[in-house]
Amino acid sequence: MSVREMQAALKEARSTARISVPRRQVEWSLITKQLVLLLAAFSVLFPAYFMVITPLKTQEAYSLSKLGFPTQIYLGNFETALRGGRFFLWFGNSIILSVGAVALSTFVAAMGAFATSRMNFRGRNLLLSLISSLMVIPPVVMLIPLFLFLTRIKMISTYPGAILVYAGLLAPFSVYLLNNFFRTIPHEIIESALMDGASPLDILFRIMLPLSAPALMTLITVNMLWVWNDLLIALVLLPEDSMRTLMVGITVFGSRYNADVPVSMAGMLMASVPIFLIYLLGQRYFIRGLVAGAIKG
Amino acid sequence: MLRTKPWTPYLYLAPVSLLMLFVFGYPLIAIFDFSMRRIRGASGPFIGLENYRQIFKDEVFQQAILHNAQLLLAVPILVLVGIVLAVLLYERAAGWRVYRTILFAPFIIAIPVIGIVFSNMLSLNGAVNELLRAVGLDFLALDWLGSAQMALWSVMAIIIWHEMGFGVVLFLARLLSLNEEIQEAARIDGAGWWQRLWYVTIPQLKDVTEFYAVVSIITMLAWVFPFVYVMTRGGPGNATQVMELYIFNFAFRNSLPGIASAVAVILFLITLALMIPLFQLRARTEMEGVE
Amino acid sequence: MPRKILCISRRDFIKLAASGAAAAGIYPFVSGMPYTALAAGEKLRMWWWGEQEAPGLEKWVKDSVAMFEKETGVSIEVTLQDTATVISEFQTASAAGNAPDIQFLWNGIYHMESVWLGYLEPLNGLIPDELLKEADATVLSIYQGKQYRLGWYAVSLMWLYNKEMFDKAGLNADEPPTTWEGLLDTCDKLKSKGFTPIVAGLKDGFWGEWYMGHALGPNLDSPAETLKLFIGELDWREPKYYEHWSKLEQLWKAGYINEDMNSIDLYPGMDYFGAGKGAMTAIVISTLGKQASMLGAEKVGLMVFPAGGKGKMNNKPIRDLQGLGISSQSQYKQIAAKFLEFLHTPERVQAIWTDSKALPTDASWDGSAIEDPLFREAWKTWVANPDTVPYISNLMPVMFWTDAMFVNSQKIIAGEYNGEQAGENAQVVATKWREQNPDLLEHYQIWAEDLKL
Repeated sequence: MSVREMQAALKEARSTARISVPRRQVEWSLITKQLVLLLAAFSVLFPAYFMVITPLKTQEAYSLSKLGFPTQIYLGNFETALRGGRFFLWFGNSIILSVGAVALSTFVAAMGAFATSRMNFRGRNLLLSLISSLMVIPPVVMLIPLFLFLTRIKMISTYPGAILVYAGLLAPFSVYLLNNFFRTIPHEIIESALMDGASPLDILFRIMLPLSAPALMTLITVNMLWVWNDLLIALVLLPEDSMRTLMVGITVFGSRYNADVPVSMAGMLMASVPIFLIYLLGQRYFIRGLVAGAIKG
Repeated sequence: MLRTKPWTPYLYLAPVSLLMLFVFGYPLIAIFDFSMRRIRGASGPFIGLENYRQIFKDEVFQQAILHNAQLLLAVPILVLVGIVLAVLLYERAAGWRVYRTILFAPFIIAIPVIGIVFSNMLSLNGAVNELLRAVGLDFLALDWLGSAQMALWSVMAIIIWHEMGFGVVLFLARLLSLNEEIQEAARIDGAGWWQRLWYVTIPQLKDVTEFYAVVSIITMLAWVFPFVYVMTRGGPGNATQVMELYIFNFAFRNSLPGIASAVAVILFLITLALMIPLFQLRARTEMEGVE
Repeated sequence: MPRKILCISRRDFIKLAASGAAAAGIYPFVSGMPYTALAAGEKLRMWWWGEQEAPGLEKWVKDSVAMFEKETGVSIEVTLQDTATVISEFQTASAAGNAPDIQFLWNGIYHMESVWLGYLEPLNGLIPDELLKEADATVLSIYQGKQYRLGWYAVSLMWLYNKEMFDKAGLNADEPPTTWEGLLDTCDKLKSKGFTPIVAGLKDGFWGEWYMGHALGPNLDSPAETLKLFIGELDWREPKYYEHWSKLEQLWKAGYINEDMNSIDLYPGMDYFGAGKGAMTAIVISTLGKQASMLGAEKVGLMVFPAGGKGKMNNKPIRDLQGLGISSQSQYKQIAAKFLEFLHTPERVQAIWTDSKALPTDASWDGSAIEDPLFREAWKTWVANPDTVPYISNLMPVMFWTDAMFVNSQKIIAGEYNGEQAGENAQVVATKWREQNPDLLEHYQIWAEDLKL
């Protein structure tokens, strides 16, 4: 933060400060607050600095100084990393899996949530709470039977097998969120559509889902991030080399280049930049999506 | 409510129900069955509770459970750090938007990346110790991941580092939805910052705190695998062994899925035991809200 | 789509093979086995591993498959497996009746367990005896007289030392130490000159397994002893069997090993040697090239770890190798066997070396033509040498690796265990394994009988 910004902040703070509070005290508390935030920000930025600066050094420069700025920018590490890791393949696999799983889970969850939120039937509440409570069960609990079962039906190391599992793991939260959102859609809109002779399917796809666009966006963001970042399931259900996801890929890449930190960091940086850019552009959705489950309304 | 044919709702629920049966239903029944067999490959002879007897007398398993329990200590820290930082942002500290973007960033960075970066930074001659030595804190330059005393704490710190941002935006979002008048009133009454935090803000954040605590408890019990797998593989010794890794090792390294399933059953029961009271609590408070 | 039928006579087969390969120097491989037909659209399946430790092998495998297909019309679908699941995946697939025809196999217990579970086919009868012998896969691949793997490339374990540092410390750079006292003396002299005598990385644990192979072996008379320790006929708490861990403690406490050992992984630890930061290190033969090119081949010396053991296995080079086997569930065992034979034609064997710089283990392969003197010596002493010992860590199940070999070494370095406590932990882990695997115990006992050298 520049000095001017700091002064502006102080000025603003002074103007809003209550007369009963002595001026000096306010300044001190402002400084303390800034210090706390700066410390927290430093803890985040320090590893980021390390990750950005290290790949620009040669192995020798790194061993001399882990933190220093490179005297000479060296780009060879990125080349080595690209040759040593199949980043494009891993990215592709991760994209296929997360898009596939999120599409499937959103689809089945929307159907289900439509029924639980807008239709009357026996066992409605039971079914709803049963499905949403599955949210808390850790995937590792189900992993062994799923692994054995998928192996038996020859769907291990296949996209459909993994997508089914991911979609299933995402569905409870998706049903829960969509159910809550669908309930907030005014009944009058649906009534008028019914007057026009719309079928339930029309209502779901022409009315409910378009009106739920913000909820859908957030849901898709959260779920995508979840599949994208998973390591355990990908490690077990996709053991084939050519099926590796980005997470498994960089884990293996990291241990392969653990002797060459600059190359390893070049790989880490390349793997993170796309997601980070998406985050900067779509921060709103990320944040809103992640808090959506917790805060009603 | 829509007027439908009696079977229509079930038709709509069929796909998700089938998926749930496949991903949760069958496996949750199967682990109980597997846990009582000596599985070789896909099946094996029934051996009663032998697998359970084995894990309970296995010192490594005891350590794994203890380590998961120890990781729960991160939950209050996460809550506290989350609330404090969120309140600071909420008070519009200068540059709060930038801080929010920065503080949330670790949550979206892939865990293997975090693990690999921190493993390098935290090695005995790594970047962290270089920094500490440079500022004259040589005595703090420890073997963060290589010593049995420090390793689990280091892993915990990194998990907190990763999860922290989620808490911050969560609490911040809740704060922004609150009525500011109560805060104002407390301020006019001359309540100090800490007093307001303790007597006004924290009670107002009760529901989100509860949610966040539940999420963090589950994380510490059953979502730490990627951190441990990438950074320490449970070592040094068994200093960072946790239940998930234990399950993974028995299922896929020791070729004893039966024992791994027994641990999965225990983990499942622990999750249930922790969650049922919380859900009840939640249901009760919602009821009260209705009345 | 034309049916790919492999119903050709032996003569046709020879002609076919010869015509395609004569120019390349492939001699026809024959064993006189009738072929079973491959059903329409069927492919043989092969699961393998190895690119991870010997980059270049993937090309070799792909070339081999393409050549085989060209000559026989049999296509093979190859899948490179992941390190973490290469064993469990094969066992699970076998249990599900879905095993690949050809499987990559690590030595010792890693495939022996599958043998006991009935998932692997003995190669005797499928592969000509001559080839079984020529491409043998060490005694650890033999159970009750039957051989289950065909050797592929060497992963022998050795130590390297830095000749320049030895010179500077006033040591004889041509005669590395051969006794424990000699080692301590060497370390002492190196240290007093400011060199780190031994460099290693233990964070991922594997060095602990290597160390046990190097240091316990020399105290034993035969590999069978290791198994007896495991099945409970011998006791890990006997000084003879935990002494090597006490020795590790001794080396560590004397400051002979790099101090960040517990916070770096196996390979970075090894690379300290290549970077000239340490005088001695343990390697696997496939990494020799990298270390030599990092440090300068003329400075690199090869040695057997001088553990100062009192057994018959003392001071012998450790020979180990990777191999391939055939699933008992394969519908096309003979064709699979043909493929394995094809991999051992002289041209293919030579190509292992040219493609990946991994050393082939076939007895007929002549490594004396290797130009690089360092590799020639390594091949001579650690691959082609009849007077070697098997790698005993391979006799232990994975649980013993993770819970005993890794843990013991890491805890010794962390100051939590002394040698004796390490022995006690080993005993606990062995007991635990026996209780959890009663169905495998009997096989272990039989195997122990087999392995009495």
